[in-house]
Amino acid sequence: MSTVRTRLAAIALVLLFASPAAALTDEEALELIKLQDERQNSVGDYKALVFIEQKERNKNDQVYEALVYRRDVTDKMVILFVRPKEEAGKGYLRVDKNLFFYDPTVGKWERRTERDRIGGTTSRRQDFDRSRLAENFNVKWLGEEKLGKLDTHKLELRAKPGADVAFPVVHLWIDKATNNLLKRQEFALSGRLMRTTFLPKWFTVKNSQGKDVWVPREQRIFDEVEKGNQTTVVIRQVELQPLDDSYFTKAWLEARSR
Amino acid sequence: MGIYVKVAFRNLLQARRRSLLLGLALASVSMLLVFLMAISQGMADSLLETTTTLASGHVNVHGFYKPSTNAVAWPIIEDEKKVRPLVEEILPDVERVVSRAHGWGKIVSETGSIVTSVTGILPEQEDRLRERLTLAPRSAYMEGGGDEVVGDVSRVGEPGTIFLFANQARRLKVDVGDTVILAAETSGGAANSVDLTVVGIGRDLGMVTNFISFTHKDTIHQVYQLKPEATGSLLLYLDDIERTHAARKELADALASRELEILEHLDQPFYMRMDALSNQRWAGQRYDVNTWEAEGAHGKWVITGFQWISYFLVSILVLIIVVGVMNTMWMSVRERTPEIGTLRAIGMGRSRVLLLFATEALILGLLASGFGAGLGALVASILDAARIPLPSDAAKTVLMSDTLRLSVRLDQIVRSVLVFTFVAGAASLYPASRAARMRPVTAIHHVG
Repeated sequence: MSTVRTRLAAIALVLLFASPAAALTDEEALELIKLQDERQNSVGDYKALVFIEQKERNKNDQVYEALVYRRDVTDKMVILFVRPKEEAGKGYLRVDKNLFFYDPTVGKWERRTERDRIGGTTSRRQDFDRSRLAENFNVKWLGEEKLGKLDTHKLELRAKPGADVAFPVVHLWIDKATNNLLKRQEFALSGRLMRTTFLPKWFTVKNSQGKDVWVPREQRIFDEVEKGNQTTVVIRQVELQPLDDSYFTKAWLEARSR
Repeated sequence: MGIYVKVAFRNLLQARRRSLLLGLALASVSMLLVFLMAISQGMADSLLETTTTLASGHVNVHGFYKPSTNAVAWPIIEDEKKVRPLVEEILPDVERVVSRAHGWGKIVSETGSIVTSVTGILPEQEDRLRERLTLAPRSAYMEGGGDEVVGDVSRVGEPGTIFLFANQARRLKVDVGDTVILAAETSGGAANSVDLTVVGIGRDLGMVTNFISFTHKDTIHQVYQLKPEATGSLLLYLDDIERTHAARKELADALASRELEILEHLDQPFYMRMDALSNQRWAGQRYDVNTWEAEGAHGKWVITGFQWISYFLVSILVLIIVVGVMNTMWMSVRERTPEIGTLRAIGMGRSRVLLLFATEALILGLLASGFGAGLGALVASILDAARIPLPSDAAKTVLMSDTLRLSVRLDQIVRSVLVFTFVAGAASLYPASRAARMRPVTAIHHVG
């Protein structure tokens, strides 16, 4: 909690003494993304009810309901689909940088890449996981930009060598007033824009140590390659109480599927 | 023996109507069998041609690479220069070696997307592929398209281009000259993409063309960020295709003896092994040495299924024929009972009576099935020459061609004639044996 306050104070000082259009140094930009990571880091366990709405061109809209369980300390994660009926029981398990997918209709586990699309939607595992921006990227301040009525810092993030990320280049728009991440654009290695994500609403949940954990209420993800495809991820009912170890096992997911 | 043939033949002529009806039935079934075998052989020929040009050599060396035990298996031979000389040394009868890289990604157009495999080729090695590919008319992939053919097969594999098939172009709603995006993940896991121009849209050639497209090998290297010395598979074409299985075993054993990790041989396409290998805990480079038959396993299952259905159908018809032959023979025996009695009374042995009737059935079987098989072969050849376009995607998938293809082989005609002649002869044995066992006195006094 004190680290977040210190960072906030540091950023406030920077912004106070800086001229309106002053560039952020690389260190200041790094502080800003570290702040994003820290604000979203629940430290303990995490459970959330998530709604995923997928719109695809020439297809009917799909809405999925899923439960997300996370233990950020050990990088463990479970995504269990509970609705619709035909998707119920399907799930992802992330253990030791391995992502497995379980389909109860065939009763088989499949190894997936860490960057796999979740449930075939535009969303990816990272959209449900804790933020690791500072760990995975080098950052550069690109300038100030208006996002609607809001003044934002635009940052460019480039993946560090060997970092396991889906998109090697990311642009972020961070609200100057609240430090909320508002927009994210992700680029392929070729430089092509692949996804644009808007994060218009954030809320906080207190963890067991009394720290406010920031959670994006809504993520609107637009597929920039297949124009017209869009995924909206809505996060509800976040709980930060400790979870049993058994949650992060294949057996638990299989049992829930039955 | 000649006298038996003469008597049998005269009897057949005497009961002309009955012989004609039974002969027609026999000829029809024989024709049907030859026709079905021609379809099945046509499928087998298409499978061989399509598989060994689009997806496989006679023997293949596929690479699987896992950077770590937790990683998924990638279809990569890390260093072609290490494997290729070994292959050429172990199999001196390899006529040519073709190197291909494999990719799997999403092809996106303005209006649609498909997930498919993209094969990276080196155009200078791919004469056989170009010969096999034919461009589809616009009507095959565009609503309201005409018979005009656009595109250029000679440009297949040019850098920055992609060659698609009609079913893919239909789903993507693209034409020659349009640009599509190939979006995929690099071997390191990062998203990547490349713009590719459609240079040709080929006719569908069965199931394999639903999941394959061609670009330059460098494009695959660029998208997946592979090292220049890497490739996906080495396709080996032998001087003698009959040596395929022996060559596969020799190669697999010899490579293993040179301390290359060779996977256990399974009769399945290499891409079907990827899931299982991804779940295994090993890291590094392993190889799969398989044959074109393994790569075309899906097609083989379709052909086997078709053959079983054909044989089932023909078996039912054969049963009807057997009943027909027996019935005809019973009638013949009944009509000729006094004659049999007389022949037996003047000293003809039982076996000779049996032979007399069996010869009659054999002659009928031989002539009718010969006629039917010949007619079936003729019809099949005419239809094959006509290259009739197949109307539906399902038919194209099952028959592995976009036109009706029938292949008539002499050995199949001969086999068909022999089978039906034998069936006719065998069906006559019981009535003939009953005739042979009759007492001469009883037979002479028999009133029909």
